[in-house]
Amino acid sequence: MLDTFEILTTSGVVLWSRSFSTISPAIINGLITNVFIEERTLPGAGIADDVSAANNPPYKHDQHTVKWTTSKELGVIFVAVYRSLLHLSWIDKLVDNIKTLFVDLYGDQLRKPHTTVVKCHFDEYFDQQLQELEKSAINKDIKVAESTAFLEKAPASVAGELRDEPPPLPGLLSRGQSKNNYNDLTSNDSSPARTPSGSRPSTPAGHLLTGKANPGGKTSRRARKAANTPTYASSGEESGAKKNRAAKAAAPKKGRRWDADGLADEDSDTPLDYSTHANDATSGEEDGTTRPGGMEEVDQETWGSRTKKGQFVLKDLDDQVHSILSSADTKKVGSATSGGLVGSSISAIGGLFRNVVGGKELTKEDLDKDLKVVEDHLLRKNVAREAAIRLCEGVERELIGVKTGSFESPQARIQTAMEASLKKILTPTSSLDLLREIDAVTSPSSLSLTKRRPYVISIVGVNGVGKSTNLSKICFFLLQNKYKVLVVACDTFRSGAVEQLAVHVRNLKELTTREGGVVELYQKGYGKDAANVAKDAVAFGAQEGFDVVLIDTAGRRHNDQRLMSSLEKFAKFAQPDKILMVGEALVGTDSVAQARNFDAAFGAGRRLDGFIISKCDTVGDMVGTLVSMVHATNVPVLFVGVGQHYNDLRTFSVKWAVEKLLDIKK
Amino acid sequence: MVIAKDWVLALLNPSPLGLAVAIVLALTIPLFLHTFIFRASGLVSLPSILLLGPSGSGKTSLLTLFERGANASTHTSQSPIAVECSLPVGAIARTDKYRSMNDPTNLTHKKFLLLDTPGHGKLRHHALETITNPQNLKGVIFLLDAANMAAGDEGLRQTAGYLHDVLLLLQKRMSNGTSKAPKEMAILIAANKMDLFTALPAALVKSSLETEITKLRVSRSKGLLDSGVNMGDDGEDNDDWLGEMGSKDFKLSQMEEFNIMVEVACGNVTGNANVEKWWKWVGDRL
Ligand SMILES: Nc1nc2c(ncn2[C@@H]2O[C@H](COP(=O)(O)OP(=O)(O)OP(=O)(O)O)[C@@H](O)[C@H]2O)c(=O)[nH]1
Ligand SMILES: [Mg+2]
Repeated sequence: MLDTFEILTTSGVVLWSRSFSTISPAIINGLITNVFIEERTLPGAGIADDVSAANNPPYKHDQHTVKWTTSKELGVIFVAVYRSLLHLSWIDKLVDNIKTLFVDLYGDQLRKPHTTVVKCHFDEYFDQQLQELEKSAINKDIKVAESTAFLEKAPASVAGELRDEPPPLPGLLSRGQSKNNYNDLTSNDSSPARTPSGSRPSTPAGHLLTGKANPGGKTSRRARKAANTPTYASSGEESGAKKNRAAKAAAPKKGRRWDADGLADEDSDTPLDYSTHANDATSGEEDGTTRPGGMEEVDQETWGSRTKKGQFVLKDLDDQVHSILSSADTKKVGSATSGGLVGSSISAIGGLFRNVVGGKELTKEDLDKDLKVVEDHLLRKNVAREAAIRLCEGVERELIGVKTGSFESPQARIQTAMEASLKKILTPTSSLDLLREIDAVTSPSSLSLTKRRPYVISIVGVNGVGKSTNLSKICFFLLQNKYKVLVVACDTFRSGAVEQLAVHVRNLKELTTREGGVVELYQKGYGKDAANVAKDAVAFGAQEGFDVVLIDTAGRRHNDQRLMSSLEKFAKFAQPDKILMVGEALVGTDSVAQARNFDAAFGAGRRLDGFIISKCDTVGDMVGTLVSMVHATNVPVLFVGVGQHYNDLRTFSVKWAVEKLLDIKK
Repeated sequence: MVIAKDWVLALLNPSPLGLAVAIVLALTIPLFLHTFIFRASGLVSLPSILLLGPSGSGKTSLLTLFERGANASTHTSQSPIAVECSLPVGAIARTDKYRSMNDPTNLTHKKFLLLDTPGHGKLRHHALETITNPQNLKGVIFLLDAANMAAGDEGLRQTAGYLHDVLLLLQKRMSNGTSKAPKEMAILIAANKMDLFTALPAALVKSSLETEITKLRVSRSKGLLDSGVNMGDDGEDNDDWLGEMGSKDFKLSQMEEFNIMVEVACGNVTGNANVEKWWKWVGDRL
């Protein structure tokens, strides 16, 4: 069974929900942060296009599965949560149908600005859908052919008719009649205060009787109205005349018969009797002649009025739901073929005009051409194709159907949307203040019960990207801030690596002893297992009271299975607080695979914590690599290397990167 | 020649068609302009209050509480929303203070726009943009989860970091803003979730925020340069020190130097909602 169904807005307000068992709010919050905001499971998602729930990947959280769909225009998310163990074949259909119904019923309210309130009586609709779909699933198992014929043909046949016509099911027809007759009957019994209750007569006798008296239609309503007017004697004739006129207008050919009726009426004794009798007679008369039209109208009327009151009889609700769902279907089909020659040429001129003035609704065709330009631009900036396509698709999904602002060209709109997308992808979920984090670990507050320990940072990356150099830069920065740093040489593989690090450490010592920095090298030569060396080094650092342990690792090709797999053990042994990967700004397309493989190399539950993008000074504006790497992993860029010197390390600024990528002049 | 003359005559004669065209144009052009240009600019005249704070602090809950009088259930926000609220009967707007008790305008509640923003790290630019480019902004409410503020807690660090950024942005705007900046800006630090027993009282919230920001601005000042600086053409002087220059400890009162009035008040949205202090603060801003 379903656990919970919720309908919520992108601004975070739950509009309607139904719970069958309580679930943690963390599940839906997880869906929102992981899928929509951080785009972890579905790159480029966001509140995207109105895709059916079947095409949106389910989101899994603990033992729960979440199915969802969105309405982009209204900013509404529809979410169904159930236990992953269950197999609910109808769940996608439910989510989609609920969306169609909700949007149809409350779309106007949702479009209202400056409010979060949506008054909805959605329970009945939901229950109806849930029951119907569950039943259909069961029926399908038992007698496949029959159930599908009924459940899918019924709405389809409605779609075939005019949209506002009720489904021509025989059951409905008699139902509508009997109801109206019931009301009519009560009014003829001169109890005018009685309101139409919406409940159907249950006894077959009443059904039959009233059915004979006047089998429903427009006039029966009117007759009721007339009968309900308290001044029978004085206005009886008047109302009768009015009725006649109205009826004539509706069916002018039948004029002669009305005269005949009038004659007959003259025989009656009292005015009261006269009016009631006339009502009966006229309604019966007219019904015989204009039955189909009258029937259609009255049915729609009662149907509509009861919608507003929110009182329903289950069967009528069924009809309404089906008609909404099927009209949505026809709309979908119709929209593809709409517009004649005149219509299209007018809209074309309007489109040109709006191109300049703004207020143009963007379509896929408009966007495709312009987005291709943007995509090429990104590729020229060294953004990997995969990432560029994702960004453009995200922008496209965001913009289709959106109206441009005043005096805003589609290109400008795309530019701003792309800027926003880039900002969103590059901005880290939580900002990193390295010094604050180190302080928190090395001098824990007296209240918390954690013991003092050194902060461990390890640096990984492909060969030759500048791991040791960037490690030295970080070291220099830490030394300037008077930390006691232990540099660990865990590259026990490439000859000369340890010596290279030793040179760096000696330089750093010279540079910073005056300022009070302390730095030592920890090394165990070549050939040892790097994970063990790292573990020993961390223990040593803790013992000797170092503040930070910086671990250099061997460079490795990201597709070298053997070396990559040793990283998992390394992470387990060294327990680094931060694992930073160095990537070269020059690298280009390979960046995506590099980042992905390193991100996955540390085993379950451990990932990269950040990137250092080196050699940014050599690429000018072509800083696309950092976008590619963040796109591939959702791991933020922390630092960028901008030169050969120890102080050429910068914290990463999103604004700077976006300006470079989109050539925005300051 | 004759044809030309005919043409001129036809052009200059008051033809009914020409008249009709002129009338149609005269009537439709304003309508056109209206639909295309003015439709977008919504209600700008209402005073607005900005609601920000870390994710999960209860901003959207508070928004619904202010709007409807009862809080709705909420989830993480992805988009900002502006909602029209009106002051409750009890709270009196500052501008109405000197009105007579019997003034009928007292009965129509003062209206304002409350702007809710997402607190997720990736989406804070919505809030920060509202500060840099405000429209009739009367005050800022920084909502925080007082139950998540224990010393050494990650929550405290993140909250203080966000608050630091917001205050710094306000400070920059107030100090270098020439004509656009208002005379004074008020910020309410609203400590939410007082119904939980782990919640810190307002005074403690204030002092732990102050100590945390003290540490934070020191480490920020020692931190690496931003990649935007130096690599670009101009190394704009980074005046990124929050509060009084050279002061050892950060105090929220230091913001008064920049005409930023900071207040701390506690309350809770859920349970037995207790938001009178916040209402009063809002009333004082209108
Ligand atoms: N105990 C308690 N819980 C509260 C209070 N106020 C809000 N909450 C809960 O905090 C959770 C998060 O509230 P939201 O309003 O969605 O948080 P938000 O600040 O809008 O978060 P974002 O939209 O992610 O920025 C909800 O589950 C609320 O029920 C309170 O005063 N006390
Ligand atoms: Mg929110």
